[in-house]
Amino acid sequence: MVKISVLQHAPAAHLPQRPGDPTPTSRNLDPLMHPFARARERMRALNAAKMERMFAKPFVAGLEGHVDAVETMARKPESLDMVASGSWDGGLILHDISRRTRVLHVDGAHQGKVSGVCFADSDRLLSCGVDRNVKLWNIRSSSDDDQNEAGPSSGQKPLSVFPGKTAFNSIDHHRSDPLFATASNIVQVWDETKSAPISNLTFPTSTETISAVRFNLSESSVLASIGSDRTFTLYDIRTGKAERRVVMQMRSNSLAWSPTFPTLLLLASEDHNLYTFDIRALKTPSQIYKAHVAAVMSCDWSPTGTELVSGGWDRTIRIWKEGVGTAPEVYHTKRMQRVTSTIYTADARYVLSGSDDGNVRIWKAHASEKLGIVTARERAAIEYRDTLKERWKMDAQVGKVSRSRHIPKPVYKAAQLKRTMLEARQVKEERRRKHTRAGETKPKAERKKVVVAEQT
Amino acid sequence: MDALFAKGDALGPVQKRRRIYKDDSKRRPEATSKAGPSHDRTLNSVSLHTSVPKSLRQTSPPSENIPKYSHIQDSKLRTKLTRQSVQSARNRALVKDAELLLAEEVGLIEVEGDLEKTWRVGQDEVAQAAGQEAAKGRKEWTLDGGPYRSRYTRNGRHLAVVGKKGHVATFDWQAGTLHAELQLQETCRDITFLHDHSHFAVAQQKYVYIYDRDGVELHRLKSHIEPTRLEFLPYHWLLASVGNAGYLKYQDTSTGQLLVEHRTKLGACNTMAQNVHNAVIHLGHQNGTVTLWTPNLPHPAVRLLAHLGPVVSISVDPSAGGRYMATAGQDGTVKVWDCRNWKGAVRQWSTRGGGGELEWSQKGALAVATGGSVNVYSKPSIQTPFAATVTPPLYLTHPIPHRPLTSVRFCPFHDILTVGHTAGLSSVLVPGSGEPNFDSAEADPFENKRARREREVKGLLDKIQPDMIALDPEFIGSLAPPPKLSTAIDGQADIPFARLPRLERLRMRGKNKSMKRFLRKQRKNVIDPRAVRAF
Repeated sequence: MVKISVLQHAPAAHLPQRPGDPTPTSRNLDPLMHPFARARERMRALNAAKMERMFAKPFVAGLEGHVDAVETMARKPESLDMVASGSWDGGLILHDISRRTRVLHVDGAHQGKVSGVCFADSDRLLSCGVDRNVKLWNIRSSSDDDQNEAGPSSGQKPLSVFPGKTAFNSIDHHRSDPLFATASNIVQVWDETKSAPISNLTFPTSTETISAVRFNLSESSVLASIGSDRTFTLYDIRTGKAERRVVMQMRSNSLAWSPTFPTLLLLASEDHNLYTFDIRALKTPSQIYKAHVAAVMSCDWSPTGTELVSGGWDRTIRIWKEGVGTAPEVYHTKRMQRVTSTIYTADARYVLSGSDDGNVRIWKAHASEKLGIVTARERAAIEYRDTLKERWKMDAQVGKVSRSRHIPKPVYKAAQLKRTMLEARQVKEERRRKHTRAGETKPKAERKKVVVAEQT
Repeated sequence: MDALFAKGDALGPVQKRRRIYKDDSKRRPEATSKAGPSHDRTLNSVSLHTSVPKSLRQTSPPSENIPKYSHIQDSKLRTKLTRQSVQSARNRALVKDAELLLAEEVGLIEVEGDLEKTWRVGQDEVAQAAGQEAAKGRKEWTLDGGPYRSRYTRNGRHLAVVGKKGHVATFDWQAGTLHAELQLQETCRDITFLHDHSHFAVAQQKYVYIYDRDGVELHRLKSHIEPTRLEFLPYHWLLASVGNAGYLKYQDTSTGQLLVEHRTKLGACNTMAQNVHNAVIHLGHQNGTVTLWTPNLPHPAVRLLAHLGPVVSISVDPSAGGRYMATAGQDGTVKVWDCRNWKGAVRQWSTRGGGGELEWSQKGALAVATGGSVNVYSKPSIQTPFAATVTPPLYLTHPIPHRPLTSVRFCPFHDILTVGHTAGLSSVLVPGSGEPNFDSAEADPFENKRARREREVKGLLDKIQPDMIALDPEFIGSLAPPPKLSTAIDGQADIPFARLPRLERLRMRGKNKSMKRFLRKQRKNVIDPRAVRAF
């Protein structure tokens, strides 16, 4: 007896049960059913990479108000949208970045430039200037008045003024106590209720000008400062003395403590690089971030501690991944001048930059990220595209699309020149070594060239 | 300060020491790494929040034979490679598990004992045993207008037929709805659907024409002159045609441009087939050669003398990843070739009646239409090497009295074989020839209008560039072969420009000296160390 069966599809199993139901789908994962799976996936990856570059529009808005270069910025703790900025003209502005309005605008808060701002708590703001004063401002009343787009109010009076003896370069508030530290030729720690500093901190043999000071975010009694003598110094306000000092090849312009890794310190250096130091091992930096083609003027960590932002004298902003020392994201715009201050917002989605042209600019931290509500399907598609890009990044075409960035011609040329010079220097060094006695000199790792001396 | 250090220690070590293994004896055994629970309170408090929650962890254990990457020193790279191979092993296991979910069963004819033969089973018997839906596949279309050729869409739902005298029809054969019927009043030689049933191309007397679903003429492709055969490469959106002049032409149907035309130099060509797994076009010629073409090579990728006399028909086996090709010649032989090794046919046999059309099904059944009957051979026997020219065991046979039989087409995802002949078309049931489980993401016989549109857009987005066609489709994403031409000096490759000796850096100057021009001409495509040196 012959047994015969012929393939037949039951339409009921493959058509929707009722009108309006989704059509049932079926899967067969046999690779023979999916010819060119790899080639098609590569095509999809290429499209994903192109789409990412197509949607990379990072600039969100510019906030005006300052007449001169924006020297310093600080974000309000426990708030997503309040950022204070101080400028070379002595103006002090509190921006509401979600509504893009000015909550507080004090023209001539200081004589000369405002060199540092920080928040004392949620409704008071500290600022210091080269006019040798620290001023404490009340921001609560003005935000209640709802004077949006208020013109400069020079009549605003500070709550209190702390007079100092020398020009201040930087200020930072203690995380929990009513203390703040200022940087001038020494580091001074002040109590908010007293008009004179409660302690002076300085490294014994130091004669330098301190340019920035920051409290550690985890161990809030530890303090770091950078100075004009190419140094950075660590202090403890409980012992009241400087613990360590490191002399580097070039001076640093800015510093920031990592918000998630307590011993990690980021320095923006004059030699075009950024360095992170683990303060448990100060001999070498734990990572060097190389891409700027001029001095790095400012730096900040993202609140998640996984990314960092830096602004440079080369008129660009760079966004780095922590631990990846090359190929950062580059932001630039035609009218943006030297970037003197950069900061992340508290939700890590935006980056703010203050530059020489007196504007504060808001940028997306991820250039092609979609703003607004993302549906679940869209989220899934975005994640799929990200995985594809990651998977195919070694492909020449995909990699090139996702790697290449347009940068201004001067920056491009400067990078080219820098590369040529460094290469020539390296070649010369190699030749010199080749023509001296074997073993006379050893090549030195780049990390080991950074620190000149470590002092305690 | 110490408190700060303690916090840092709890989170991570100072710095990962870079270990460079000069010799393996100094290598510490890996067991020395800290094991057991740590007593650090900070670490314990942190680890609770930094580990992946149980619900998100992979449940299935990783398989055993994962390659070890212990020879790689960079620990980050090593971790990444290990993670990748674990994941791919897991994926393979999951794909294997997913086979259990395939619901539909393949058709079959089973006999008991040696005395019963499958080929003795007639179509009436098969149609009687088949279910109500499946029996619909057995059909006879009696049509005027000469020998007919047919073509199915990729999902097997729609059928296009063309008669020699110019009768063209496309229809949904399951629902029985006619899309278009045209009387073109001129010789038509072939028909093919484009990406789906919404467009089809007809090889007419002088040119190739493209019609839409309703039979409205959309394009006249004037560059395809006197076409005889058409093929559409669905993943590349290329319409390939070959004609009496012997030119193989590729037209990109997404952009409309004529991509490339290859001169075969082998005269009029009446035989074309595509390999669905690597999009290579196989042509059979009058002098018995079979040539394999890709758009990016001006000459055939493979050239093979297959028959003594014209090649009548070619087909490539889709069930084995395009590994086997079958050819039929006017000399009355059918040969099965292994596409990886062209030294002689795997198997050959002669047929009665000379020349025949042939076609492989999705499941690997080979239908050969010769003389007045269609014979179907099944898989393992036709692909095993066998020296003697003996007909392989027959699976099914069906006589058709209307000679000549001009086309055989299997319907995808069904057990149906459609034979075109002088008096129209006959559909025959061939149990076990169709793939029972379709994938909705690739081709779905039951798709609705929205799904069709979606697939069209997705297909366009995923369109593969024509220069990606090669004999080995897996070359994409694999390691590049070492370059043949390189700037190596004294065996040292990849010296950066700055490190080249001064003479080498200045080498580009003075390119136009007559001696150098002469040498360059000599050097064309040849890497001769002497010429390179002199250059």
